[in-house]
Amino acid sequence: ALFAGRGLLKAYRGGHVVIRFALGGCTNRPFYRIVAAHSKRARDGKYLEQLGCLDPLPNVHGEKVVGLNLERLRHWLGCGAQLSRPAEKLLGRCGAGKRSRRGGSRRSALPVAGLAGFLPLHPMTITNAERLRRRRRRAQEAVVPPAEGGSQDPGAAA
Amino acid sequence: YYPQDSPPPAGPRGSPALPVPAVPPDPSAALRPPGRSVAPSGGRPAPPALSGPAPHYTSHRASLRALLSLVGASRLVYVTSGLLPATMLAALRCRGSCRVPAAVPAWSPWLVPSRGRKSRHDPPAKSKASRLKVPPPVDPAELYVITERYRQHRLVLSALRSIFWSEVVQKRQEVQRDTEDSAALSEEHRVLMAWNDAENARQRARREERIRKEEEERKIRKLQAAENKAKVMEAFLKEKEKEVLQLQEEAKTFITPENLDARIEECLDNPRNYNFAIDKEGRIVKRTALS
Repeated sequence: ALFAGRGLLKAYRGGHVVIRFALGGCTNRPFYRIVAAHSKRARDGKYLEQLGCLDPLPNVHGEKVVGLNLERLRHWLGCGAQLSRPAEKLLGRCGAGKRSRRGGSRRSALPVAGLAGFLPLHPMTITNAERLRRRRRRAQEAVVPPAEGGSQDPGAAA
Repeated sequence: YYPQDSPPPAGPRGSPALPVPAVPPDPSAALRPPGRSVAPSGGRPAPPALSGPAPHYTSHRASLRALLSLVGASRLVYVTSGLLPATMLAALRCRGSCRVPAAVPAWSPWLVPSRGRKSRHDPPAKSKASRLKVPPPVDPAELYVITERYRQHRLVLSALRSIFWSEVVQKRQEVQRDTEDSAALSEEHRVLMAWNDAENARQRARREERIRKEEEERKIRKLQAAENKAKVMEAFLKEKEKEVLQLQEEAKTFITPENLDARIEECLDNPRNYNFAIDKEGRIVKRTALS
């Protein structure tokens, strides 16, 4: 290793490039940077390139703002970068390909297999949505029959 | 499984493109403390069919979702517990669809979380003595569906990656082509190629000349060799002829069974004396004491 730059140049054995979220911000105020980094680096450590940012807390208008550099994302994905699970889920959301709010380069028409998001929907997104829907339906059915039964009993009694 | 821009189909298996944003977040979810949420059926149900009651989601699943999901709800409870990594691992393992390395055990005395109030040397609390860690139940039908979805998802991702890689390569080639001065380089290329061809032709001529000469030499040598062989053969034959003749000549004086008696008589009749003496000067003396 170089003597003067030993702390600067770190050589890893194995590992790969990942596109993931690096956490920043303060206490009770997280802020993520979407970053292409070596997989063995610390989460908030030195990265290869910043590809965007994500503010997990909604703003005044109730929006969660995400900035994406789709050009560079395509480049990194083409060069074989892996994605972390939350990064995959984020990129698969509708509107990730259509617009990038407040930052990053814009692409008006992304011919990415005709999908709405930059990447296809993550299976767990679909699954969780299904489960939520099922649970809500079951809750509604649980609420409705007792109400019907309750209304019917006084009707029958009367 | 992947929705187009059309509105999502209704039905139990409908895969919605976007969770409905107009639905306000479940207030009970915010009010409910981040602990075990008991299902309406109560207790721990057996793995049900897809259309049956929902799987029993435990606290680690809820906390996972709280941390990682960015779905619609504006008010999320951020659970920061020190036991998260181990529980996440357990949840991930039990989901079954993601790949957890087989070498990592679900629980072991040495697998302690790296955060939290207690250090690795602090014993677990007495309230946790009877705690039985149970993995969340898995619905096999749902698991199959999820596996299939993952397979397709990965297929699409790999296709996208190959598209992006081809784009990268294309861009690189474009840049390369733009940086180099195409006219001068092609001219130089042509000149060099012409010189190369001339050199090749010259070498070829020399090579052919050499080969031709070698061929001629070889032919001459072959002829010579043939001639030599013929001569040698001839000489040998002549020698043999001479020997044969000589033998034939000598055969006339051989003793055969027919003239055996005659020759014996002849020898007995003409005794010959082979005794002689010779001295150092070479004088032969035929007359000896015996005769």
